[in-house]
Amino acid sequence: MLKVNIDGQNLEVAEGTTILEAAKKAHIKIPTLCYEEGLSIYGGCRLCVVEVEGENLLQPACATEIRDGMIVRTHSPKVREVRKTLFELIIASHDISCELNCLTCSRNGSCELRKVAEDIGITEIRLSPINKGYGEDKSSYAIMREPNKCITCGRCIRKCEEVQGIGIFTMANRGPATIVTTFGDKGMGNVECTNCGQCIHACPTGALHEVYHYESVWDVLHDESKHVVVQTAPAVRVAISEAFGDEPGTIATGQMVAALRRLGFDKVFDTNFSADLTIMEEGTELIQRIKEGGTLPLFTSCSPGWIKFIEHFYPEFLPHLSSCKSPQQMFGAIAKSYYAEKNNIPREDLVVVSVMPCTAKKFEAKRPEMDGDVDYVLTTRELAGMIKAAGIDMVNLEEEEYDRIMGTSTGAADIFGATGGVMEAALRTAYELITGKELEKLDFYDVRGMTGIKETEVEIDGLTVRAAVAHGLGNVRKLMEMIKAGKEYHFVELMACPGGCIGGGGQPIPTTDEIRQKRIDSIYQIDKNKKLRKSHENPYIKKLYDEYLGEPGSHRAHELLHTHYTARGV
Amino acid sequence: MEETLFLKREEVKDINNYDFPALKKALKMKQEDVIVEVKRSTLKGRGGAGFPTGLKWELAFKEAADKKYLICNGDEGEPGTFKDRYLLEESPLKVLEGILIAAYAIGADEGYIYIRGEYAKPIRVFSRVIEEAREKGILGENIFGSGFNFDLYLVKGAGAYVCGDETSLINSIEGKRGRSRIKPPYPVEKGLFDKPTVVNNVETLASAAEIINQGADRYLSLGTEKSRGTKLVCLSGDIRNPGIYELEFGQATLREIIDDFGGGLKNGSGLKFVVPGGISTSILLEDELDIPYTYEDLDAAGSSLGSGAVIVVGEDHDLIDLMLNVSRFFMDETCGTCFPCREGNRQIYHMLKWKKNGFTAKERQLIKDIGKTIHLAARCGLGQTSLNFISSVLDKFEDELMVRGDINVEG
Repeated sequence: MLKVNIDGQNLEVAEGTTILEAAKKAHIKIPTLCYEEGLSIYGGCRLCVVEVEGENLLQPACATEIRDGMIVRTHSPKVREVRKTLFELIIASHDISCELNCLTCSRNGSCELRKVAEDIGITEIRLSPINKGYGEDKSSYAIMREPNKCITCGRCIRKCEEVQGIGIFTMANRGPATIVTTFGDKGMGNVECTNCGQCIHACPTGALHEVYHYESVWDVLHDESKHVVVQTAPAVRVAISEAFGDEPGTIATGQMVAALRRLGFDKVFDTNFSADLTIMEEGTELIQRIKEGGTLPLFTSCSPGWIKFIEHFYPEFLPHLSSCKSPQQMFGAIAKSYYAEKNNIPREDLVVVSVMPCTAKKFEAKRPEMDGDVDYVLTTRELAGMIKAAGIDMVNLEEEEYDRIMGTSTGAADIFGATGGVMEAALRTAYELITGKELEKLDFYDVRGMTGIKETEVEIDGLTVRAAVAHGLGNVRKLMEMIKAGKEYHFVELMACPGGCIGGGGQPIPTTDEIRQKRIDSIYQIDKNKKLRKSHENPYIKKLYDEYLGEPGSHRAHELLHTHYTARGV
Repeated sequence: MEETLFLKREEVKDINNYDFPALKKALKMKQEDVIVEVKRSTLKGRGGAGFPTGLKWELAFKEAADKKYLICNGDEGEPGTFKDRYLLEESPLKVLEGILIAAYAIGADEGYIYIRGEYAKPIRVFSRVIEEAREKGILGENIFGSGFNFDLYLVKGAGAYVCGDETSLINSIEGKRGRSRIKPPYPVEKGLFDKPTVVNNVETLASAAEIINQGADRYLSLGTEKSRGTKLVCLSGDIRNPGIYELEFGQATLREIIDDFGGGLKNGSGLKFVVPGGISTSILLEDELDIPYTYEDLDAAGSSLGSGAVIVVGEDHDLIDLMLNVSRFFMDETCGTCFPCREGNRQIYHMLKWKKNGFTAKERQLIKDIGKTIHLAARCGLGQTSLNFISSVLDKFEDELMVRGDINVEG
């Protein structure tokens, strides 16, 4: 252990501890911008500089390891003076002016610059803003970049490269012309971006945000000739109330449903319904592939970030992908056929809106092979914004129920929102469909939790089904390499975002590991409290098959609920 | 006054006429003994930072690793500096010899010479030297029958000043963005491709070769106690005889360098100030020039010997023009990684660009604050020293540069 004195506090820390980490232990907050827990150290913003006795120059707390006997001053007059000037420089480069206005920024409630300004006590900015004059990157269906707001802290670069293992961003140019951009400045829509949106969570400013659909949704809501239905993904209900100041993990299903009705949606449905449907189709596909010697392992296909990832980086594995559309798209397809026909709504008057924790869902809805199933995709953040804009005090509303029949679901559908959930839901159903026996223990703890790659084996009718789960594309790539090297499984669940959908790129900011875990806990809580916890027990799914689809894997089911993929390469 | 010829003493360019005496001598010595000899000479790095060369070698030597690298830094980018270019063109074999000695001492079997891209002739000359040395077995396996293997590759810089910083240079060789690395780890522990690496300046390596050749004692007999040996001084600016002069430390004062070697100011102009170590050092005024040219005396005068560039500025120049020129250089050359250097230099440039009437007290304070912030908080030496010139001009010509009370200028 090393002895260190920080701001008069004596403490002992392990070798390799940085000043920043040690200060945190001593309950001293040092401001940072380019630092993010879990990413490599960049040492660029210099806001965390501190005085170390014996050194002439200030030292970055994030990058400086404690040496035995070190005496550190984190908020001395010299440090505070330097930090203030530094912050003035950062703000000038961020161009807060009439053109770039905090009030209209996507991050007006969650801007880290504002927090830093408060923490260091900024009272004046003596420098005029510099208009960098960069254009916006609107090339992507999912994510938009506003480089004028970028302070080039590089967190998006590191998140994409180190956590997601992709690396679509890079620094280009030199000096003040330094910018974050994509390869050849081609734009996010024209490179190997998976649209996962983890970069948005990494960004301290409003330089990255989703491509907004809410304006269009307002328009259709106000259009009397349209019948507008909405579906909400499982991960939204355990996160949305964070945007209203609630504790992370607060379950707000009923309040959210009530708010959606007040916004004017004609029907409030649940993506959980089509998650149950997905299990029926995907479970059937798995059983078929195992019984008939089809391509194994079978890969899940619910996460559109993962789909784009495999299309770019492992196109040779596309035959392994389940042909099932994701729950979002299955919902759209059923709404626009079964629901529309049953209620005599002309297809052109029916609008399907989904609320997703995800930015990649915006891209998915635009895929030509399923174009028209879903019209607009709102992120959790966008929906929260609409609810606020309508003056609805969501968290204090009386709870309401989803509309039938596409609002009814089992606990198996809820857990789709957490890493391992699709696997667990599929195993619950596959076991009972294959064996005809009741599954005694419904909880598959092996596949739950934040471990990057999880494995389990389940005995089903004499066959040991080997399953694996990976979340976060960095882990996904690791698992894919294991499979490429010969590791054998029957069924593999892959999710683009760390923690699964509850950690999606469209979720409230901040989304940290601690917050992810709280959302996951709530998801399993919802499952536990449900009477029906197996997809094949959903009475309305049975009804849908009886009345319309026939049986899982039928011709009609294939037409509506299955899709194909594109080998994109790199 | 005469030059002191230690480095410039023998300039052989034809490899067939050069015997590599220092290298042959070194190869007969133990690695440790070569290091001891260089340490004893107290040679300091000639790139600008002045780190003791022998110590650097010793640190790298002591690292246990399957691979080590020696890099010769020829990315001479400090404006006003052209000594490495001179050595690469006129004494390439001595530079090669220094590289080989250093590599042998630290136990490197591969190395790079990184030459700035604008140096077309040195690149041509040295490429040929490498080719010929390979043909003659001076690079390759079992050099001079000693069992020592070493090969050398030439890398051309792409025009970034920051790549003269050793960690940025290493990134550049690896094909990465030219920007400094966070230290520690230092290159001697984890450098090129994460292997122990010594990066030495061209002049440093040539000096090391001569130290082995002529002996540390000869070297120690030159200069002052704190500045041993000689230095190649790059004399430029408004003087009659610009050029490279090899001077024993302490042999001449700055004024003597300017007057005796440089022939005084041209066109009979008066002297405004001198930049004694390249544009990242603070200026000295006419009445500050009677100091011996040594590391310690220039430090004591509040400046630095830097890379050895002495730039003489006559009185006809406009101070704001000069500051703007220097500011533009640093603004363009900051690597863009750390905020104080990138944004600070940009703001200073913008402030200077529209100034013709002088500065208000408020602006003066702002420039001071930014200068202090860059100096204290920047990530590497480039940033830390980028405002030395401008701050010192502002300090020393305050009367001339401030708005006079009777002129009403907003600010």
